[in-house]
Amino acid sequence: MSTITIDTLFHHRRRHGHRQIHRSSLTPITKFQLISKAPQPFHLICAQTPNTRYFQPLKALGSAIVETSESSIITFSETFQLKRTEKVEGKIAISLESGKNEDCWQLTVGCSLPGNWILHWGVNYVGNVGSEWVQPPPDMRPPGSIPVKDYAIETPLERTSASPEGEAFYEVMIDFDTKSSIAAINFVLKDEETGNWYQHRGRDFKVPLIDYLQDDGNVVGAKKRSGAWKGALREISNIFLKPAAEPKGENIRDPGLRKKSLQVFYKEHSVVKEIVANNSVSVSVTQCLEKAKNVLYIETDLPGDVVVHWGVCRDESKNWEIPGEPYPPETNIFKDKALRTLLKQKINGHGSSGSFTLDEGFLGFVFVLKLNENSWLNCNGRDFYIPFSSSVAPAKHSGLTPEGKEEHKELDTLVISGNALGSNEEVSANTDEIINDIRNLLSDISSEKSRKTKSREAHKRILLEIEMLAAEAYSIFRSSMPTYIETDLQEDEGLEPSVRISSGTGSGFEILCQGFNWESHKSGKWYMELHEKASKLSSLGFSVIWLPPPTASVSPEGYMPTDLYNLNSRYGNIDQLKVLVTRLHEVGIRVLGDVVLNHRCAQHQNQNGVWNIFGGRLNWDERAVVADDPHFQGRGNKSSGDNFHAAPNIDHSQEFVRKDIKEWLRWLREEIGYDGWRLDFVRGFWGGYVKDYLDSSEPYFAVGEYWDSLSYTYGEMDHNQDAHKQRIIDWINATNGTAGAFDVTTKGILHSVLERCEYWRLSDEKGQPPGVVGWWPSRAVTFIENHDTGSTQGHWRFPGGKEMQGYAYILTHPGTPSVFYDHIFSDYQSQISELISVRKRNKINCRSKVEIMMAERDVYAAMINEKIAMKIGPGHYEPSNGPQNWSLAVEGNDYKVWEASSK
Amino acid sequence: MEISVIGSSQVNVGRVNDIGFCNFSKNLNVKICNLKNNNYSKGFNLGENLSFVLPSRFPIGCCVKASASAHNQAAVVSEKSPNFTRTKHNDGVKLFVGLPLDTVSNCNTINHARAIAAGLKALKLLGVDGVELPVWWGIAENEAMGKYNWTGYLAIVEMVQKLDLKLHISLCFHASKESKISLPQWVSRIGESEQSIYFTDRSGQQYKDCLSLAVDDVPVLDGKTPLEVYKEFCDNFKSSFSPFMGSTITGISVGLGPDGELRYPSHLNSTRKNIHHGAGEFQCYDKNMLNNLKHHAETHGNPLWGLGGPHDAPGYDESPISRGFFTENGGSWETPYGDFFLSWYSSQLIHHGDRVLSLANSTFKDAPITLSGKIPLMPSWYKTRSHPSELTTGFYNTVNRDGYDAIAEIFSRNSCKIILPGLDLSDEDQPNKSRSSPESLLAQITSSCMKHGVEMSGQNSLISGGSKGFEQVKKNLLGENAIIDLFMHQRMGAYFFSPEHFPSFTQFVRGLNQPVQSLDDLPVGEEDNAENRPAMNLHMQAA
Repeated sequence: MSTITIDTLFHHRRRHGHRQIHRSSLTPITKFQLISKAPQPFHLICAQTPNTRYFQPLKALGSAIVETSESSIITFSETFQLKRTEKVEGKIAISLESGKNEDCWQLTVGCSLPGNWILHWGVNYVGNVGSEWVQPPPDMRPPGSIPVKDYAIETPLERTSASPEGEAFYEVMIDFDTKSSIAAINFVLKDEETGNWYQHRGRDFKVPLIDYLQDDGNVVGAKKRSGAWKGALREISNIFLKPAAEPKGENIRDPGLRKKSLQVFYKEHSVVKEIVANNSVSVSVTQCLEKAKNVLYIETDLPGDVVVHWGVCRDESKNWEIPGEPYPPETNIFKDKALRTLLKQKINGHGSSGSFTLDEGFLGFVFVLKLNENSWLNCNGRDFYIPFSSSVAPAKHSGLTPEGKEEHKELDTLVISGNALGSNEEVSANTDEIINDIRNLLSDISSEKSRKTKSREAHKRILLEIEMLAAEAYSIFRSSMPTYIETDLQEDEGLEPSVRISSGTGSGFEILCQGFNWESHKSGKWYMELHEKASKLSSLGFSVIWLPPPTASVSPEGYMPTDLYNLNSRYGNIDQLKVLVTRLHEVGIRVLGDVVLNHRCAQHQNQNGVWNIFGGRLNWDERAVVADDPHFQGRGNKSSGDNFHAAPNIDHSQEFVRKDIKEWLRWLREEIGYDGWRLDFVRGFWGGYVKDYLDSSEPYFAVGEYWDSLSYTYGEMDHNQDAHKQRIIDWINATNGTAGAFDVTTKGILHSVLERCEYWRLSDEKGQPPGVVGWWPSRAVTFIENHDTGSTQGHWRFPGGKEMQGYAYILTHPGTPSVFYDHIFSDYQSQISELISVRKRNKINCRSKVEIMMAERDVYAAMINEKIAMKIGPGHYEPSNGPQNWSLAVEGNDYKVWEASSK
Repeated sequence: MEISVIGSSQVNVGRVNDIGFCNFSKNLNVKICNLKNNNYSKGFNLGENLSFVLPSRFPIGCCVKASASAHNQAAVVSEKSPNFTRTKHNDGVKLFVGLPLDTVSNCNTINHARAIAAGLKALKLLGVDGVELPVWWGIAENEAMGKYNWTGYLAIVEMVQKLDLKLHISLCFHASKESKISLPQWVSRIGESEQSIYFTDRSGQQYKDCLSLAVDDVPVLDGKTPLEVYKEFCDNFKSSFSPFMGSTITGISVGLGPDGELRYPSHLNSTRKNIHHGAGEFQCYDKNMLNNLKHHAETHGNPLWGLGGPHDAPGYDESPISRGFFTENGGSWETPYGDFFLSWYSSQLIHHGDRVLSLANSTFKDAPITLSGKIPLMPSWYKTRSHPSELTTGFYNTVNRDGYDAIAEIFSRNSCKIILPGLDLSDEDQPNKSRSSPESLLAQITSSCMKHGVEMSGQNSLISGGSKGFEQVKKNLLGENAIIDLFMHQRMGAYFFSPEHFPSFTQFVRGLNQPVQSLDDLPVGEEDNAENRPAMNLHMQAA
């Protein structure tokens, strides 16, 4: 590993004629070998930097140095590598011009910064504008293009000499036929060198080729929110290329493009790239035995003025202290706490150096380097620490302590894109770090008042980590001990008084109505339309209604919220909403607000042009955005859940975010009168935060949308959906049961049951209902359709014509059933109404007991609370008349429901 | 490391080794951190410290932090990495948490290892000192006598060691029905033909979860006595785990009977839920016990007293004080016969305890660990004169006689600590009709221990004691007369980490560390969700 060459040794000898001890550090190696996960290049001073460099200047320093000549020992010599990022500004140029002839035009994208540039692009055809990218036709692809998946092309930019400044310029040209049906070219630039993506205001660059938007003023809104389930880059589309200063740029098109014909244009966008510069600083310490002095020499090749901000320390605590005079030239005392010495520029202009003579008795020299007011250099997040004494070798020397192990990671990608920010960190790694860093903080926290504020934050962080670990342990223990869980839950259920109100269940007797569909925003007066229907909904037996998302949103349906406090949406304005809520309350229906907490669309760009600065009353910046979605360059923590890729995901681990959200929810409760929440995309963040929000906003009822896919084996749905169910249950658990969740499992199973006539699926291996409703009925909100799965989106439509079997199932079974608006106002209304009245009459609630009577190929039958019996499927079933006298209550296509009347 | 030193007589070779430290430099990687002008001012009302906190989850944050300190230009630099010195728990109470009973499966693998790993980290972060691990006879020596398999246990011990937690080992010479851990197969096979190795009650029912203390010195196990087998088990454990002794493993408790406790299985197989109905029965009807009793009676000059246990002792479900042996006034327990029987019955237990503790002490006395044994807390009927529950369990403790003095004495003699469960039980929550008083009993045992200089560790009894249980534990640990210096909370598992339980445990730990601090500044995990649910009186999984 280390080799000391004969040259070096001779060199030492020649200089000093005394024994030389060459050491870089006093820290035992083994520690670092254990700790260092990724060995980094080994910089041994004598191998890399000829020692002569150190000693030449010593001569020039006058008396202090001369004194050392006879009996001095070099006790420390080290070169520290300094990695520094420099910002380089450049531009991205986009031009559109006519080519060889009228029909053949050319789009040129260029970049003036060095790099390995790739154009990542796709097109939209007329007719599917505003949706997803598709690949351009082959004749449009420049040479060297590579298809990426099925929707994009990657074309490298060529270096050209045609740049006006004579500097390197990179560009790519795309020829296209204006007669083709291509409506727009979308692209982002990628620098393969750094892996960074460059976008236009956090979105794709979009170059419209034809004016296809005459009757659609809101392209962005046309985007299907549902696309999030597929999640990909292509979701982040639909922004017109615009000069940056346009206030509402997203919705306003460039006037130059309004004309039918294509316009020539040339636009430049500034772009900033960070380039890593490698420098180093060398430090050597010479101990002069006779004079009891240490002479420390610092030399660096950093350009410009370099100030050493330094002090000395007497003990292991590394507390800074100012030594007695004399100080080197160009030294100032800084606030009685440190000294600042300007290093002397070398004569050749390449770097600077300085020497510091210090009395013995100090254990070490601590410093950081200051380049200018805003640029500081330190040693992996710590001060540089240079030990003096060679007689002791304490374990914790030299800036790096064992706790520092996490800091070996590359730090130079701090700015450009969030993609390097801890995205590879596992929770457990994080835990290790915390354990090592701050062990026993819990007991420390009260010990010293001065530390209190600081440690409080760390403390919270630990508690959060503990909660997450506990949740993890809990879910595994639970799933590996199914028998225990069941009894636990049953006991839990059994013990709850039947009408206890909790936000997870409401009264337990709730029947939910989803009060909108995917088209409801179209009229612009949905609130008023619903107002008319309030009494009807009440008479049908609904006790809770779920209203559409009320906030201002990029998409008209409301799921891309912008300013949370702006409640004027496509569904109506805030006053109409208040009137509606009042009306619903009058008729005895509680109101759930659809709150989108996972993501939020930004209104402004950050300095990199990425859209992650929010507007409105909650004007968060990129610190409110999770760090692990590269598209939005968030500076928050890693997401605590899955990411929704179409908008900046909110980092709920930030306290200011949580505080604001809680305040907002309370405001919605008070100002609008909402009774509870339907929580959008709760897969995106930890359920523990939901609990926090619910504890604060105290809703009457809350339900979360935790939607992920079921287990399939070779395209066939698995009978055992425990894992799917478990994920939902884990989420409910993380909320501490303060929220219910949509029983996606039950819907999925009903799909298979009805599509393939496999009614046996409705009994799981333990003879229980197979959905969430069989496991934690009181927190299951059963449904068969919603605005995403059905309506005009139809992402996962319930088997057509069999909806009533689905309702016969969910409206007779435990859980809280939710009926979709489209079904309420359809031919099914009377049947649904009858099922609801049977449910109410027999006091079936979210905790009712199910006894499955039959689960065969073509028929499923169950008895609920021994009060009603039901069957679905073409097969035959009749409840046997035991103590109950069964009478048919509702009957329809392939379903029957009976009520018991005591003999 | 490759060092070549060429031709230099002046180089002190001894110090050349120091060159090794040069290695260190490879970890020094200095980077720039551009501290940007923090212009987050536009309407942002963030707390100042926030800018320190935001990035701190990531290593990169450390860089930002440090730069920021430097930017503030001060000696605050030293503050950014405060030396977190360990503050002792108040009164030196250490906190352990029991690992699941089935941590190591029957085939010597770790059950739900991921959950345990996460759980251990959570505990470590919480500031828990260590964990308790039951080591089962029926797993480690399952196949044949003298054939030990420690692989699963070694793996767990390593896991614990990596997290720098301490470990208390419970050597379990009993079986556990609830976690489906039985006695070693070869022992059970012997038990099939030789029924008398098990405790037996008056009606002939047997307790097969541990061996009867009457066979301690009888060579029933293929020519060896159970004590010899226990001793070899302990010896083998000690040698197999010697690298961990004193470092990771700081304590060992040795199983003394049913559930590891020094007692008779007076309630036999009945679940402890019904414990309050009766006081249990005497378990002296196996062949060896009866022989022993007969012999003792003959020596005593009353051969008729040696024919069996008290004929008028109540059954499991009968109220003990209504009639017969334990009757409050004039019951047989106060007669010379009663005294004869109870003295013998309890002395058998004490003698058994003494022998097992002594063998454990001889094995572990040179190991740097604390040795302990567990005794039960039988608080029901404590408020009566006869203390029937304690009597059937083997503790001759009545209104007239201190039964715990002799117990404390054997622990003292063998330099053992006493582990006492039930620290979470309060008089208030005891059913009235059981005349139970855990607090008084605890006080009595404590004073016996103090008298004999025996140290004590505590455990909880109910796994769902809720916050009230924790309050009681805290009271017992931090109270004026508290001598308990270690508390083992039972036990990790799904319930432990559940939202009903874990928050109150967190609060408990914090309360233990800082009893006087107000809780207002700690927003997370604050809420006390564990409602006291009397109906869910799940009993601890005792080891």
